[in-house]
Amino acid sequence: MKKTVLVLLGLLLVFSALAIAQGYETMPADAKIIPLGQADTPYADAQPGVRGGIFYCATISNPKKWNDVTAHETSTTQYTGLMLEGLISTNPVTVAIEPELAKSWDVSEDGLTITFHLRQGLKWSDGEPFTADDVIFSFNDLYLNEDVETDTRDILVLPDDSYPVVTKIDDYTVQVTTSVVFRPILNSMGANILPKHALAQYVHKLNPDVPVGTFNSAWGLDTDPSELVGMGPFIVESYTPDQNVTMRRNPYYYHYDPNGVQLPYFDKYVVLTVASQDVSLLKFRNGELDALGIRAADVPILKSEEAQKGFTVLVNPDLPNYGTSWIGINEDIGLAEGTHDNERALFRTRDFRAALAHLVDKQAIIDSLYNGLAVPQWSPVSYLSPFYAGRDYYGGPVTEKDAVIFEYSLDKAAELLDGIGIVDRDGDGWRDYEDGTRVEIELNTNAGNTVREGICLIVADRAAKIGLKLNFVPVDFNTLVNKLFASTGELIILGLTGGPEPNNGANVYKSDGGLHFWHYSAADNPTEVEKKIDELLDAGVSTLDNDKAFEIYKEYQITLAKDDLGLVYTVNSAFTYAYYNKVGNGNLSSPVATPGGGGLADICYFK
Amino acid sequence: MKLTGLRALVVVMSSIALLSVIGLGANLESIASNELVPEISAAAGMALADSYAATMTEAELEALAVDGRTIGLRTAASGALAILYRDKTEDEIMAILKGDADPMIRAAAIEPAQVYLVSVTSDDEDFKLTDYLKDIAINGETHEMRLAAAKAYYFMSRKSLKAADLEEQAVTNDSDELAYAAGEALSGFYLSFNPKTQAELEDLAINGSSEGLRVAGEIALSSLLIKSDLTALDFETTLLSIAGTKSAEYRGAYKIALANRYAQ
Repeated sequence: MKKTVLVLLGLLLVFSALAIAQGYETMPADAKIIPLGQADTPYADAQPGVRGGIFYCATISNPKKWNDVTAHETSTTQYTGLMLEGLISTNPVTVAIEPELAKSWDVSEDGLTITFHLRQGLKWSDGEPFTADDVIFSFNDLYLNEDVETDTRDILVLPDDSYPVVTKIDDYTVQVTTSVVFRPILNSMGANILPKHALAQYVHKLNPDVPVGTFNSAWGLDTDPSELVGMGPFIVESYTPDQNVTMRRNPYYYHYDPNGVQLPYFDKYVVLTVASQDVSLLKFRNGELDALGIRAADVPILKSEEAQKGFTVLVNPDLPNYGTSWIGINEDIGLAEGTHDNERALFRTRDFRAALAHLVDKQAIIDSLYNGLAVPQWSPVSYLSPFYAGRDYYGGPVTEKDAVIFEYSLDKAAELLDGIGIVDRDGDGWRDYEDGTRVEIELNTNAGNTVREGICLIVADRAAKIGLKLNFVPVDFNTLVNKLFASTGELIILGLTGGPEPNNGANVYKSDGGLHFWHYSAADNPTEVEKKIDELLDAGVSTLDNDKAFEIYKEYQITLAKDDLGLVYTVNSAFTYAYYNKVGNGNLSSPVATPGGGGLADICYFK
Repeated sequence: MKLTGLRALVVVMSSIALLSVIGLGANLESIASNELVPEISAAAGMALADSYAATMTEAELEALAVDGRTIGLRTAASGALAILYRDKTEDEIMAILKGDADPMIRAAAIEPAQVYLVSVTSDDEDFKLTDYLKDIAINGETHEMRLAAAKAYYFMSRKSLKAADLEEQAVTNDSDELAYAAGEALSGFYLSFNPKTQAELEDLAINGSSEGLRVAGEIALSSLLIKSDLTALDFETTLLSIAGTKSAEYRGAYKIALANRYAQ
């Protein structure tokens, strides 16, 4: 009996030692040094910090799972993004691609083969070694495994519909081969790497004892957090629904500051789950949160307390967020039902869509709805992208020289409508179709979004000034999305996310894209303009030369904005953020990286 | 004694007290306990709130908020209670706000109540949160209950109100508390989208035609003062020189700025 107890105690001690990973004894030779505060680096405006403290931020949604591979929603990826890393990453300051788990890579002359050299001596958060096997597992057994439900496969598909071939050269070298040149391949290879030793057991291909699809439910919310393993700065420690997610420092994180201090600086990273964005704002004002993403309407109330309470409100009217906001014009309205012939013909007329573009009073929208904190939007590619057509060259300054600008002009809008025979035929002040029926169009957005509702009212008001009747009807968000996918809406104001890489919009702008919602019938019968857009998107990914790609994407944007006009762009809100001054390096916050939204979580610290 | 003479005496006494505590390198507690100029005492109290919250019990703080010998000590206790009250339930907070506790204790419940007030829901299809809050801001049982609701009302209305709306409502409103809260909300516009100069804000804090407008000037001015290069001694000197004069809001701006310097 006594012996059994001793044996059990011994086992427990061993398990405890495994569970509480202690971290590296010395800094790994291949550690990634973040040059905080060093001149001539992106981190020149940052400072090395000190370890300690618990960082608090907030969200309004519970996570859905801990499985990054199958996640569709940011309520999950905001945590998995902190737990995991990819072969490459984007610099949080410059947004340039830089080495991450791979310390370097070579590209073959023909651009078809990339050889990644992995950092050596790194360990997962549970102390297991990180090797090429984890990379091969992540791509070949997860992302490219048809049994696994993942969106990442969509960004790995090549122009000839094949996928990259990922092979292990040795324990620290991985080769990726593509059948054709695919410029965004580095972006695509930035997908997070998962631990083979922890997850292979859930993959039918590697463990036939489990049913097909088992991996899709692995690492659910019912998983004991102690089983979660990562290479990122923080690991989930506990989760209480509707209250919080607590993440602890990964003892084996491989980022270090210039003084040799292992990152992250914070001991813990806690995300509170709150009822609404309003509650988040109040908690921030109370000092219960250390940082917060805010909206234009929040700026005055925070500015009044900024100095007294010791926080900083970042407001940059010239720095818009990624993403697009637009009016979608449904060119397939009534197609399936055999109705809405007048509307469909009108919506399919390019000059009508151009007239609508001239009716968007962007300045009024910016002034009255965004307190000036927004910029006009002209393109499907985000203003911040180095490929934005308003730049002079790849990554160059924004001059809007080549942007297709439909300035607000009632005269031009009226002239275009007159030109296509949409005129007032009965003298009642409203424009009519050729058959004499009044042009009367429903304009929808999601109810409760006061900014979008305001945009609808402004557009309808300006249209009325030239006799074009737009009836604004706010509808429930899910109903609106259903209308979008069922092609039953007429004009809809909504938005899309965005990023630096134009090809990430291929699912929207390609004629057969899953989100080509304004003209789904184009999948079978694309217009000449849509065919051209398809060709340009394929061409854009088929060169490794960014300058050439820029010229291709410029033509793509001009074609979309000038000739296609399926989406008429409105405005893009400016970056606004708030953080307490005690959060060191919070000054680096930008649309792509914040202390609370990721990107800076490993280098922020408490002063 | 004429009023002018009384003020002069206060200033002299305050100067002596201030010089003495500064000369002795006294801590904030000494200033809060001994300073005769109420704004200086209160500023020290504001700066003490965090440490009191960390070191004193709720019962001790409630006693000090009521019986503290100076405004500085009572302010410190009330500010500390506001921090401790964040852990109270909605029912507990509302009971304090509506109850017959000392106003310094009820005041401590105003900020913690905001989270609950903006989260109120109803099964009634016609329920509108801003209407509900406005009704409490007008008809609430106590000044503090009305003020908490008024602050929540303007918080929830922030997306639809511009500076011009708030300027009007800071003067004319259905309750003093609503006018006050409108002034608070207005101050942020004076620091962002509708900026005013320091001279304009000083004039507003002194001569604003309503308490709401003067509050807008007070809060915005305090922000500029905090961001200036002025020291705690500069603010103390100013408060001594204007003790009992100008307006409560103008003095309040310097009090807030001094509290900030004390807290550093």
